[in-house]
Amino acid sequence: MTQSAAVPFETLDTPAIARALSQLAEKPGDWADLFLERTEEIRSPAEGKPPGVQTRREEGLAVRLVRAGESWLAARDAITPKLFSEALRQVARALPAAAYPEPRMALGPWPGSPDAPELAAFSPEVHRALREKHVAFPAKISVTRHSRWLQVIGTRWSSGTEYEHFYSCTVEMPWGRFGTLLPSLEEAEVETVASHLLDYFRARQALPPEPVTGLAVLGPAAAAVLLHEAVAHALEADTLALGGSPAAALGVRLGAPGLHVLDDPSSAPAGIKRVTDDEGLAVCRRWLLRDGIVEQPLADMVWSQSSPELLPGAARRSNRHWPPAPRSSHLEVLGGPLDQEQLLAGGDGLFLSQAERGRLDSLSGEFHLFFPFGRRIRSGELAETVGPCRLEGRVGNLLEMIRGIGQQPQVAGAGWCAKGGQKLPVWATTPSLRLEEARLLPC
Amino acid sequence: MLKSQPQIDAPVSETLENLTKIEDGRFQEVEVFAKLGRARRVSRSGLNRTAVYSQEQGWAVRASDSRGSFFCAGTGQVSPQGSWPGTDGLPLKLPSPITSPAWQTPADFEAPLMGEREAQSLLEGIERALRNEIPGAQLLQGTLDDGTSETQIINSRGIRVRYRSRLAALHLESLGPGAESPRADMYIAEREARHFSPLALARRLADRLLVLTKGTPRQRDRGEFLLAPPVMARLLESLLPLWVGPGSLDLAQDHQDSRGRLGSEALTILDNGRLMGGALEAPADGEGVPTREMILVDRGSFRQPLLSWQQIPAGQKRYAGCSRRASWRDIPKAGPTHLYLKPSPAVAVTELLENLARGYYLLDTTGAAVFDWPGNRFYLPVCGFEVRQGRASAPVSGSHLCGAISALLQGIQAVGRDLSFLPFSGMIGSPSAVVSGLELRALS
Repeated sequence: MTQSAAVPFETLDTPAIARALSQLAEKPGDWADLFLERTEEIRSPAEGKPPGVQTRREEGLAVRLVRAGESWLAARDAITPKLFSEALRQVARALPAAAYPEPRMALGPWPGSPDAPELAAFSPEVHRALREKHVAFPAKISVTRHSRWLQVIGTRWSSGTEYEHFYSCTVEMPWGRFGTLLPSLEEAEVETVASHLLDYFRARQALPPEPVTGLAVLGPAAAAVLLHEAVAHALEADTLALGGSPAAALGVRLGAPGLHVLDDPSSAPAGIKRVTDDEGLAVCRRWLLRDGIVEQPLADMVWSQSSPELLPGAARRSNRHWPPAPRSSHLEVLGGPLDQEQLLAGGDGLFLSQAERGRLDSLSGEFHLFFPFGRRIRSGELAETVGPCRLEGRVGNLLEMIRGIGQQPQVAGAGWCAKGGQKLPVWATTPSLRLEEARLLPC
Repeated sequence: MLKSQPQIDAPVSETLENLTKIEDGRFQEVEVFAKLGRARRVSRSGLNRTAVYSQEQGWAVRASDSRGSFFCAGTGQVSPQGSWPGTDGLPLKLPSPITSPAWQTPADFEAPLMGEREAQSLLEGIERALRNEIPGAQLLQGTLDDGTSETQIINSRGIRVRYRSRLAALHLESLGPGAESPRADMYIAEREARHFSPLALARRLADRLLVLTKGTPRQRDRGEFLLAPPVMARLLESLLPLWVGPGSLDLAQDHQDSRGRLGSEALTILDNGRLMGGALEAPADGEGVPTREMILVDRGSFRQPLLSWQQIPAGQKRYAGCSRRASWRDIPKAGPTHLYLKPSPAVAVTELLENLARGYYLLDTTGAAVFDWPGNRFYLPVCGFEVRQGRASAPVSGSHLCGAISALLQGIQAVGRDLSFLPFSGMIGSPSAVVSGLELRALS
């Protein structure tokens, strides 16, 4: 279980809450739970913009009842016995003859005023790292610390308190905007951000490449975005359901042999790793693709009830006001046999280290991946920089183009996913990928 | 300031009072914002049905001393004894009260939120009507949000406002019959959910599905274009840099003709935060500054950009509240509220269509617009019908409307009376409009 030193929900009367929830689950197969969360965000400003430090603290609860494909959810912006009882009544399909007494729900106070001294040092450190690389340019850096505590209580069980803690960074430059998620603000992260900014700087005047079909080598960060869109989103149970039964995807070849893609929240970087999902159910090491074949799509409790072949444990919600949905947390791609030289070998093409964003049409399977810049590959060597371009194709075709997998998976490609209006942080550990016959177009 | 001083909740006013007293008035600028809301979200997707009942309560405090400022927000009721972060960044300035006409809370704000069964019936009604229009078509997903809220804003310069808001939004995704059938999406907003008409919405989805199924691209063609409100609204939204913000003056100058005119006689652009019946109608903006109508372009002549009180040039006295605040979590940001092309009340759309000798009636957009400002070009993927002698002759899709940005502005020949708004960054509205000087080209 991932817990912080100060667990805000430890004083809750969990058995009394479970008894109160049991009033909702009046029919066989009913599912009732209480979701509790506390979140804190502290944002240090980019230079030259008021206001200064921005802080936000939230807490609240949501009571949910699921019955035969129907869900009712009532959410409140505070955690009190009265609001819990109110929410309980709002989702109840039939009011009980005699209600249980309100449970004890006194939470510990927030610790002091919001403060994150580590944020202030990050921007100067990145500028220092850039100067060490002999460059200096205007870059407005803003850093946010995200903290979240959550717990789910059901009628017969209760998860431990999960704690998430990470940072996000956005940089505005005259030639573009860069954003990333970071597990910490150590020296390695300073170096990572500075290197990315340097790449943007070097590519600021580069012309887009001409339309080409051929070799494309995606660095770990770009590969992570590709696989998030083309594998994770494509294998979410709610996405699969748009085209029929989600379970029908099991056993279908989606990628090239040798491509192993997993979703494993328990192996995410420290501060983000999870033991349970946002429904309080245990997460698992889920093989989305094994050797290119679909093994286990992403599912939550609701979808696993409708298809017994689907395993729950991948439920996520951006906050209490949203019902859970099946989503990826931490995508993992197993390393392959190719070293850097082998990845680039055999002709000309493009090396694309960063992807700005990706877009998947869930029905047609059409896929677009946008790159802010790249480098030409000439005779197996990295050559000059090119400007923005995009990769197009259908999911199945694109994944079959993966003809080589790099040896060393890296934590890379973290970002915000905004599917369906829910903003969720997503993480990945991937190696580089070699695509052949990829269609690249200028932007 | 508003003529009658509204009642502000004690914790809100006490928080302001306490903050202004800290360290003998260290904070020269203090603002307390509080919002209370109720919302329902009802959705259906395949066999799944979901109903969410949310009650939200949050607050935000902005304060500034001589060296820096902070923004602090939280859920629940604001606490006058709250612990505040240190200041950082740059100092902050807040607006002062200005006089404005009285505003009456519209009667339909009192209407109850749509119930769960009523909302599910609306979604089922849309699906049923869609199937009547196109047998085999499906409503893949439908989500209705219906909410009401109350906002209080008080600041150390004397602003005291309290007002209610009401908004409903509907998101629909539909699929035509057959294996390779296209998909049509729709996202619309109204003040009250009961204004959504299942039949009209289903017909709009069906029209779009039919055009996408049967339409063919046009390699390259010119003519007159009758642009329906969804197409015009998307164009106006893409043209926002021309109407909003300090940079718009230079941009407008770049696109004026030799006589100094930005557009044709039919081009009158307004923004009005208190537009009667508007989905975002309110007496004040997210900083408590009174809203009012602003004419940005008057019959083709650029009058002024939409600027917040902070952005107006020194000496300019009159301004409108246009700082929008999506929620208590967000910092106010200048932007349009109800920005629209002025309609012609006497002109029906059928009249515009009948007068189209040779051209296209473009119903909807099929993707995002690309506006190349330095190159004075735009591209917008569209679908609709070819028109001959006022009659639709063949469906068109897989094409984009393109041309010079200045030609678009100068080429608006006539506008209809069917003003309707779409939710973008604020509500952007337009009637149907006849535009010449543009091209239709096949998507590459």
